[in-house]
Amino acid sequence: MKQAMSSLLGRRAVGRHTNPASRARTAEHAVSTGRQARRRHALLVKVNLAAIVVVLGPLIIYPLLRLIWLSLSGTHGLSLQAYRAFFSNPETRGVIGSTLAIMFASAGLASLLGVLIAALLFFKPFPGARILTRFLELFVAFPSFLVAFTLIFLYGSQGSIGILLQHIFHLDQPPLNFLFGSGGVILAEVIFFTPFVVRPTLASFATLDMRLLEAARSLGAGLAMVAWRVVLPLAWPGIAAGTILCFLLTLNEFGIFLVLGSAHLLTLPVAIYAAATVDLDLPTAAAGAVVMLMMSLTLYTMYRRVSRRGSRYGH
Amino acid sequence: MDIKLTPPALVGQRVGPLAAKRRVWRLAGWGVGAATALLCIVLFVLPVIVVALSSVAEHWSGTILPTGYSLRWFERLGSDDWDAVATSLEVGFSVALLGTALGLWIALSLEGRDRRGVGAVVDALAMMPNGLPSVVLGLAVLIAYHKRPLDLSGSAAIVMLVQLALVLPFCYRCCAAALRPELQVLREAAASLGAPPARVLLRVVLPQMVPALRASVALGFALSLGELGATLTVYPPGFATVPIVVVGEVERGYYLPASALSLVLLAVSLLALCLIAARLPGRGSEPKPKP
Repeated sequence: MKQAMSSLLGRRAVGRHTNPASRARTAEHAVSTGRQARRRHALLVKVNLAAIVVVLGPLIIYPLLRLIWLSLSGTHGLSLQAYRAFFSNPETRGVIGSTLAIMFASAGLASLLGVLIAALLFFKPFPGARILTRFLELFVAFPSFLVAFTLIFLYGSQGSIGILLQHIFHLDQPPLNFLFGSGGVILAEVIFFTPFVVRPTLASFATLDMRLLEAARSLGAGLAMVAWRVVLPLAWPGIAAGTILCFLLTLNEFGIFLVLGSAHLLTLPVAIYAAATVDLDLPTAAAGAVVMLMMSLTLYTMYRRVSRRGSRYGH
Repeated sequence: MDIKLTPPALVGQRVGPLAAKRRVWRLAGWGVGAATALLCIVLFVLPVIVVALSSVAEHWSGTILPTGYSLRWFERLGSDDWDAVATSLEVGFSVALLGTALGLWIALSLEGRDRRGVGAVVDALAMMPNGLPSVVLGLAVLIAYHKRPLDLSGSAAIVMLVQLALVLPFCYRCCAAALRPELQVLREAAASLGAPPARVLLRVVLPQMVPALRASVALGFALSLGELGATLTVYPPGFATVPIVVVGEVERGYYLPASALSLVLLAVSLLALCLIAARLPGRGSEPKPKP
């Protein structure tokens, strides 16, 4: 920046003043004002960053500190009473296990399906693949609770797909009865979060050097070998980032649980929500929230690390 | 999953006329494409169709398609429902505009800084709500602002506050992505020609960022309209956004009215997104610094 500025200034100065003495004076003047301006600029940058921290403080930092503080404060100073209360409640005992199980099942399935769909859309495009890709990009803006809700019409015990299967196979009763519970939650999460994997995976496929794939093919590698030994290692940063993002979003999901799972399946977000708004017990809810905060932030740190590495190698 | 990329029987078939083999391969490829399309339609397109279809259904339970169609669920939307739509729009626009302004500010301030020191801290802070569960953030905001010194628990401001925090990372990312190196060159050129920083910002940087700002507003608006977890945790009595009303109706089993209201929400948000993100005609010429 400095160089560009001085060279431009210099050229202009040359154009205006032909006399060497005045040229030197102008240059000197430019340098000194430049230094002053730079110092002022540095101060301005610092003040500006401080102002941002002042704005972000009440928005993010202060609430989180209050949350942690409330979860740790008992009647007499520091205590873990709220944590004990949250986890000794017989209803919430297995809540971490069930949350993690749901997360691994649905995010794992969604990642596999997302990578597979992205690969098929990219390497075996069919008529309409482009429209479908655009649709999947828009699908991300569809609220998750709405996805869960529509599944009631489709896969509920009186839903149209169940009735359709009943007609096809001449059954006495509609065969589907899994929606309000872990099965339905996993189905809804797979449907909602698969597009989140498809997008970054497609993006990382798009950066592949197709000549490498052709070279591998011409050297006699089969499709499976090309996929496993060439495509996967090259596209891995994008796929990993998408997969971790999918796990993170699945862990943080709430609307789907509320619509489909609140009756039979207790997960951490629903337990926190119930403790805060039904039992009106904020310290206990805060304890659960801090545990969840730790889990989410761990995954989130992983995501930031992987996605940064991916973008560094990508460009 | 019943989709196979390479059916093993076909791979092993080395002998035989080449044309027949090629035809088999083409058929297999066609089948794979069709299966993918079908899978995607069943999984992703069907839910969107169902919202539209169920909102105009007279009755839909125990049949493949609705029995009878009518607009009565829309006619029955009461003043509460329209109030919720108005509230959603109001909160959505405020949050989108505030989030974009804040995101732009942070993006401009952090531009060109290496990701170390204060810059890294600010960047991490602005991006952090991306990794937080909405319920946890909602609970934290509720705990921080439900009693003195600052009691917001009775006003819509607490909803805006929590949604602003949730939307900020997306707006910030949107603005930061638009500050490309080319723009930096333009700014330096303008500054070297003697334009003061404010003028550089107003006449060079902001015009270049209009598409990104529109995208940021649109994204913030869409996210705010669909936000449920945090809003449900903090919302004051007498206040409701469309998602809150819809979930309440779903929990009580009023599926068809909930569909009608959801369709209104989707239509309104789609309309707003089109208005915000539509490209202005004749904006192709980029302002260039004069030599």
